Amino acid sequence: MRALVIDDSRAMRRIVGGILADLGYEVRPAGHGREALDVLEEGSRTGWLPDLACVDWNMPVMDGLQFVSAVRSNPAYRSMSLMMVTTESETGQIVRALAAGAHEYVIKPFTPDAMRDKLALLGLLPQAVAR
Amino acid sequence: MTAAAVQEPITGLLDAATVLAVADDVWTSLVGDGEVLVPLPLPAPAETVSAWVQITGPWCGAVVVSCAEATAEALTGCLLRARPPAVLEPEDVEDALGELANVLGGNVKAVLPGPSALGLPQAGPNPPAARPGDLCRVDAQWRGQFLTITVQGATGAPHAERTR
Ligand SMILES: [Mg+2]
Repeated sequence: MRALVIDDSRAMRRIVGGILADLGYEVRPAGHGREALDVLEEGSRTGWLPDLACVDWNMPVMDGLQFVSAVRSNPAYRSMSLMMVTTESETGQIVRALAAGAHEYVIKPFTPDAMRDKLALLGLLPQAVAR
Repeated sequence: MTAAAVQEPITGLLDAATVLAVADDVWTSLVGDGEVLVPLPLPAPAETVSAWVQITGPWCGAVVVSCAEATAEALTGCLLRARPPAVLEPEDVEDALGELANVLGGNVKAVLPGPSALGLPQAGPNPPAARPGDLCRVDAQWRGQFLTITVQGATGAPHAERTR
């Protein structure tokens, strides 16, 4: 399985990417939404499209909500699951993200187990590690 | 000046116990299991580094984390414990302290009147100045070293004068 980890914090890219890599994911990082769209456009040409994108909300250039809207408006990315991973924790923000097309929502700070549980809900826990 | 344009001091919206509870959660999940923030003050070291995020909404201000450079490096090591870089660069430390401020800021924002927007984290030796009496501060130690978390009103925001 493949995952795109989008966060402006390099520490957070390592943390989230590390959890996913430990689960067997092939991970690519992006520092903001525009860079992530570039990875997807390139992936469309080369055959590397992710099963999952973990998306931070507050980022420079293009934020997570704009990224989610852009992905949802492109039928080529329909099969990709979108999981917000963000410190935005108010109900109104969660509703906005889900309405824009995010499938799951993880609030920072989180534990690896919490992320694993959300992946299981999405059916994205690789078979070999599923409980 | 209208009532809506006047900002209440942060002390009327938040107390140190709430900030400490937010920080405890962040420390346990992000810094590591068993990594406790002890709410006992220590003298500030000669030089500190800080990271902060601005909150803009019905309440405007910042959430600031400050500690010694060596403490910031140790915190970065904890955050990256599962995937440590070969060499820890100054940018890694700035970034990790910034993300700590970001996560603290987001969770503090959630208990303040909203809706509010969170700015991008910034880091450096000179955090934004606080207005006297308009800050909620947790003086703590982590691994026996000085660390403070401050939630402070923006100095430029119109403030309600405190009345007794
Ligand atoms: Mg961010």
